[in-house]
Amino acid sequence: MSVLFRSRQQGAQQVKISAWRRFVTFWLHHAQQCIGSLGELARYPFASLMTMAVLGLSLTLPATLYVIVKNTDSVGANFQNASEISVFLRQDLDDQAVTTFAKRIELNPAVAEIKLIEKEAALAEFRERSGFGDALETLDSNPLPDVLLVTPHANHRAPAAAEALLQELKQQREVDEARLDVGWLQRFEAIVQLIRDGFLGLALLLCIAVVLIVGNTIRLNISSKRDEIMVMKLVGATDAYIQRPFLYTGLWYGIVGGVITWLATAALLWWLSGAVRSIADLYESQFRLTGLNLAEMGVIWGLAIGLGLLGSHIAVRKHVRAIEPQ
Amino acid sequence: MIQFEQVSKVYPGGFQALKNVSFSLAAGEMAFLTGHSGAGKSTVLKLISLMERPTTGRVLINGHDLKRIKRKQIAYARRDIGMIFQDHRLLMDRTVFDNVALPLLIEGYSMSEARKRVQAALDKVGLADKIRHYPMMLSGGEQQRVGIARAVVNKPPLLLADEPTGNLDPKLSAEIIKLFEEFNRVGVSVLIATHDLSLIARMRYRTLTLKDGRMIDDGLAEEPA
Repeated sequence: MSVLFRSRQQGAQQVKISAWRRFVTFWLHHAQQCIGSLGELARYPFASLMTMAVLGLSLTLPATLYVIVKNTDSVGANFQNASEISVFLRQDLDDQAVTTFAKRIELNPAVAEIKLIEKEAALAEFRERSGFGDALETLDSNPLPDVLLVTPHANHRAPAAAEALLQELKQQREVDEARLDVGWLQRFEAIVQLIRDGFLGLALLLCIAVVLIVGNTIRLNISSKRDEIMVMKLVGATDAYIQRPFLYTGLWYGIVGGVITWLATAALLWWLSGAVRSIADLYESQFRLTGLNLAEMGVIWGLAIGLGLLGSHIAVRKHVRAIEPQ
Repeated sequence: MIQFEQVSKVYPGGFQALKNVSFSLAAGEMAFLTGHSGAGKSTVLKLISLMERPTTGRVLINGHDLKRIKRKQIAYARRDIGMIFQDHRLLMDRTVFDNVALPLLIEGYSMSEARKRVQAALDKVGLADKIRHYPMMLSGGEQQRVGIARAVVNKPPLLLADEPTGNLDPKLSAEIIKLFEEFNRVGVSVLIATHDLSLIARMRYRTLTLKDGRMIDDGLAEEPA
């Protein structure tokens, strides 16, 4: 392309370059610069590996934390199977009404199982166990209500669904009071959420750090090639052409850094798995730590490459532009 | 080819390098630009090669107002201008071939085409046998000729040279100027900035003289009819 001499019959225009040829040349240049930047990195293997390791290890922490949260979630899912609702019935119901109510609740699709504890049985048990037997004799009537223990169906055991069932039961005419011990479940969920949010914030900070580190490394690269860039600009190189090798350098940082993240995460989980197994054994649980699956590894790799590219992009945009021939 | 219309240039900091300079250089013309150091020779070349922009006035190349050339187009505009520097600005860690091929590869020539043209350009400056050498292994005059080969390898219609003979002895200087004459003979416009008055005296080319940023002589009066 000639800006000043549109009808120039020399130079670039003399060689008729077809669109296809230009297309091929474009990608050929990309491939050359891609391999070239890899060669450049190989010339200073120690410095390159250091940057890649910083990138990789910075992402290892969020990746490991992610794996821990993922495993905590699966443990939490097991815990939730235990929830049970205690329904206290009104005192003035006769036996017939209690039985009808119990039947009706049992037919509710959200309910898996019910157990009726009649007030007489409850009183007898209380008398036997509490040691207040004599005191209870002085009462003229049984103060205990009939109690219905309701176990929600498997898909109604999450705290929110169980809470909805609880409200539904409370609405019943026969019911005086109903309780679901979801407090500890909610606390557990809240703690998991706190950890998850904390990890997310930490991961975000580490990603920003990665971008800054890559950006700074590329900036140093650029300033060490100041003279070369100046000469290239003098002979007509566009900013895009000059930037490309640096962008590829960022890409390579991401590619290798991502692999380092995989390896470091796997190593860390292997290190933790022994301790996790002994805890699980103490609880007689079959729980085992699950590592990263293929899709998650892909996401981490993509993230590493994206951050490498972003860091180098920020650096080249600012610094290649700033170098002008004098 | 080159036209300056009442061009002034004030650098940041207030130094006025050019004051109301007007001149024009015809296509295919070869001329010297002279004056003591600080007179504004380099500024004139920088304005032509878009390294600086005029504070006031217009610079035109081939009828194109350089003011209209956007930042993104500068790279393409520079491909039409061959530039030669006193310090040759070669890449010391690249071979002579890589240095001369640089403008071609940037423009997107294939390797085989580039190889042919580099060979031709080096033949012209008499360094065909040094193609695999590094600039460090060459003498000052040879390095300058590599710089010239790089400037002409994509056959630009305009050549600018800033003190091309600055570090060379008279014999080598004459050889370099002879090269410029050869390019000029095939239609390339050449503008050479130099303070080497003895060199100019031996030539009978138009000489533009700058003094303290003013054009005190545009060389036209002395031009033989």
